[in-house]
Amino acid sequence: MASIDISNIQKSYGIMPVLQGIDLEIQDGEFVVLVGPSGCGKSTLLRMIAGLEHVTDGEIRIDGRRVNELAPKDRDIAMVFQSYALYPHMSVAKNMSYSLRLRKVASDKIATIIAGAATKLGLGPLMERRPKALSGGQRQRVAMGRAIVREPKAFLFDEPLSNLDARLREQMRAEIKKLHKDLGATSIYVTHDQIEAMTLADRIVAMHGGSIQQVGRPLDLYDRPANLFVAGFIGSPGMNFFEGRVSVVGERSSLTLADGIVLPLPAATALQSGERATLGIRPEHVVLEPAAAGDIRARIDLIEPTGFGMILHLTLGTVSFKAFTLNRAYLQAGGDIGVRFPAEHSHLFDKDGQALNRP
Amino acid sequence: MALHAGGPDTYQGGHHGDRRPFRQRLADASAPYLYSAPALILIVTVMLVPLILGISYAFRDIQLLNPFSGGFIGLEHFKTLSQDQNFYRAFRNTLWWTGASVSLQFVFGLILALLLDKPFWGRAIVQALVFLPWAVPSFLAGLNWAWLFNPVVGPLPHWLFAMGIMAEPTNILSDPQLAMWGPIIANVWWGIPFFAITLLAALQAIPRDLYEAASIDGAGPVRRFLSITLPFLAPTIAITVLLRTVWVSNFADLIIVMTNGGPADRTQIVASYIFTQAFKRLDFGYASAIALVLLGLLIVYSMLIVVLRQWLLNKD
Repeated sequence: MASIDISNIQKSYGIMPVLQGIDLEIQDGEFVVLVGPSGCGKSTLLRMIAGLEHVTDGEIRIDGRRVNELAPKDRDIAMVFQSYALYPHMSVAKNMSYSLRLRKVASDKIATIIAGAATKLGLGPLMERRPKALSGGQRQRVAMGRAIVREPKAFLFDEPLSNLDARLREQMRAEIKKLHKDLGATSIYVTHDQIEAMTLADRIVAMHGGSIQQVGRPLDLYDRPANLFVAGFIGSPGMNFFEGRVSVVGERSSLTLADGIVLPLPAATALQSGERATLGIRPEHVVLEPAAAGDIRARIDLIEPTGFGMILHLTLGTVSFKAFTLNRAYLQAGGDIGVRFPAEHSHLFDKDGQALNRP
Repeated sequence: MALHAGGPDTYQGGHHGDRRPFRQRLADASAPYLYSAPALILIVTVMLVPLILGISYAFRDIQLLNPFSGGFIGLEHFKTLSQDQNFYRAFRNTLWWTGASVSLQFVFGLILALLLDKPFWGRAIVQALVFLPWAVPSFLAGLNWAWLFNPVVGPLPHWLFAMGIMAEPTNILSDPQLAMWGPIIANVWWGIPFFAITLLAALQAIPRDLYEAASIDGAGPVRRFLSITLPFLAPTIAITVLLRTVWVSNFADLIIVMTNGGPADRTQIVASYIFTQAFKRLDFGYASAIALVLLGLLIVYSMLIVVLRQWLLNKD
């Protein structure tokens, strides 16, 4: 197990910059998830840690040792690929023992290690099969097995679950978490799926456009997103945004939307009258009231029952937004409903999209 | 499928329960055969008739210059053949010619394919140029190389002399010890692109992340070649080597053009010996007998390769 220090990492292909100055310290035994939309540079960063991509500038240290110039095989890390990258001409057992055989580990010892990993992953009866005779979930397990038999300094996961169907993904997610609890290994996990990020991570690194947007524990990112990108990316259905101009009258401040609708803002803001700002609120925090009681009325365009609750597609003036409710009773598409945005759950972002600290 | 087109309902309830008139039944039963007949007849005419005629020549005395020949003589040709020292020499030369040509073509083709698999500036142009020899007619390639080896018009003997490899700039095609190397070199030049093309296609079908996974697992370049590239190429290698071997052992064009089997029959291979018997001595019967033996040997060889390939695919 090891710590991984990344300082001021840059990567560019020709003149195209992909990563611009990434700084990240990963503690020994920590599970860090790099999350972001495709093209944000998260996979590139992971592959640079693995040694599969050249580092343009900056430094990567594993356990305090600079590894920039080391070949992947000398870094003592294991990686699980999105495609699993199993050796199709080798049996499951051979796939898993390949790295050990290359290291000239004694064959009786290899047998013990492989048997242990097979039990842990439930691969026992499949050991003599070829990868093509396995299902997606089983292949995924073999790929994990190949990584754990090594007892490497760190595990790298490159979107390992994205080729599985939803149910299997959920199951494997839990297994990965359990495995990490058992092994306590330093892990870096890349995904574009924010639910995977939320459920697995000790710490999430949200990335966008080649730079880190926010680093923190999953609920910190959820409750206190640092900017509009993180606020919109984390959470499903995503946060609602209302853009407008601030007006401050005495103690009270409010936000005037483009079509003249006025939303009250949390009392104390650092914003001046006339500044542009964005109010954000998560769908589950929108309070729904009977139309008569509410100050603000929205039209219900569409109702999506999820079974667990209902997602309402609403329109306020010309702005569309969503609300989530557990109440099934009185709602009907086409009708009006009163909405309220509680101050304690409102997020406010300045004109550059940076979050304003709430008191 | 066509043969089953009658299907279960044609024979529903067997012949006893079938109430259709006899002619109707006959028409239904023969329909699939009638539909496939034109194609079958064409294939039989084009493929089997010449083959059977050729094989029949091997058991007949057919000499173009002898109007009284043509009779059935049984295994007479094969008896002659078993004592024909020229045939045995041609056979040894064939092994030598085929083995050297195919293995050199394969080795250079593989190296070329591995080089072309790596991206570099101008790769598309280099790829196109590399495959050019394959487009040259074999007859032209033979003439070209014959001239290159000729000290009067070609530069090669002079270069070899200047480098100290040859004692004097002579034509290796007229040296009984070295003559076979002439057509072999021409054949290697001509045949490398075939291996390069097919192996390059196979190389490019290997998923890149396997190499990445192997390098993370601790494999250096040599191990990666041995445990990923080779297993992936093995089926292609087996099939291309098989094809080329059959092809090259039958391939007399370069030898006929460059040395015509000489000097002193040193470059005579079985295929060129057949050519000589048939079109120089005009003894078609004997030539057919030799061809039949060659065919048998190649079939045995092909079977061996097919078995070997199956074994490789099913191993571990």
